[in-house]
Amino acid sequence: MDDRIGEIYLSAAELAARVRELGAEIGRDYEGREPVLVGSLKASLVFVADLSRALPILHALDFVELAGYGSAQMGGHEQIRVLKDLDLDVRGRDVLIVEDVIDTGLTLNYLVRAFELREPSSVSVVTLLDRPYRRLVDDLPVRYVGFVVPDELFVGYGFDLDERYRELPDLRLLRLAGQVDSAAQV
Amino acid sequence: MGLDTPVFRVFRGSEPPRFASPAELECAKVLDYYGVPWEYEPRTFVLEESEDGRVTEAFTPDFYLPEQDLYVEITVMKQSLVTRKNRKLRKLRARYPEIKIKLFYRRDLERLAQHFHLDLAS
Repeated sequence: MDDRIGEIYLSAAELAARVRELGAEIGRDYEGREPVLVGSLKASLVFVADLSRALPILHALDFVELAGYGSAQMGGHEQIRVLKDLDLDVRGRDVLIVEDVIDTGLTLNYLVRAFELREPSSVSVVTLLDRPYRRLVDDLPVRYVGFVVPDELFVGYGFDLDERYRELPDLRLLRLAGQVDSAAQV
Repeated sequence: MGLDTPVFRVFRGSEPPRFASPAELECAKVLDYYGVPWEYEPRTFVLEESEDGRVTEAFTPDFYLPEQDLYVEITVMKQSLVTRKNRKLRKLRARYPEIKIKLFYRRDLERLAQHFHLDLAS
């Protein structure tokens, strides 16, 4: 395996247990409704699949993908670009955005605003990982959090290293050369 | 300092921004990309004054996000300089407890960029 991949931070068993808890909690909160789980590609893919199977209620699945700032898909665009839009009409539906991780909240802020224009019944967010101390946009409907994590980089369980290793069952620490220690406390 | 600046969509200041470093320009582009309104260095905070009232230390955060009512200071520098900024931020918070301010680190930009090769030297 790539020597940049470090030790296990969250094991497959720990991830599975927390996802089951989230599924049960969401199931209780949305009982009698049929939410649309919207996965934000690509890193959330594994989490969405596991969460969907942990949900004891009827629900729909859909996906959205945005071009990240500075990415090849950005293609010189100076504003955010949707690479894959929703297939479903979410008007009047309960939308539950499924994120892999929330940091600054800039991407999620865009998604929430974009979805609200489509007049859903509600918009909430479930994220596997959260770094609330890195937030720039605070006013977000983050209702369910899997794990609050330190300011580290991760690989596995959907997170990639150069588009590889998303399939690893555990969440592992990632060590990159020249990595800047940004965890200084203010 | 003259960095070429693009036309911004959600810049909310009155004067065209003149960025002091490539990192500030990059951050402005990130905010603009994600549609988060921003101002550049709109306010200077007095941190210390001499007995005769002269300002002896002041701090001008790089950005202000009006929708979040949040000041943002960019840092992509080495740890010793981050420590100096942290000290200023602590002073600002002590003197202006109602002001919200956060440091925006190189890693924040890198994560948003989804890769690790941005040239953010400053």
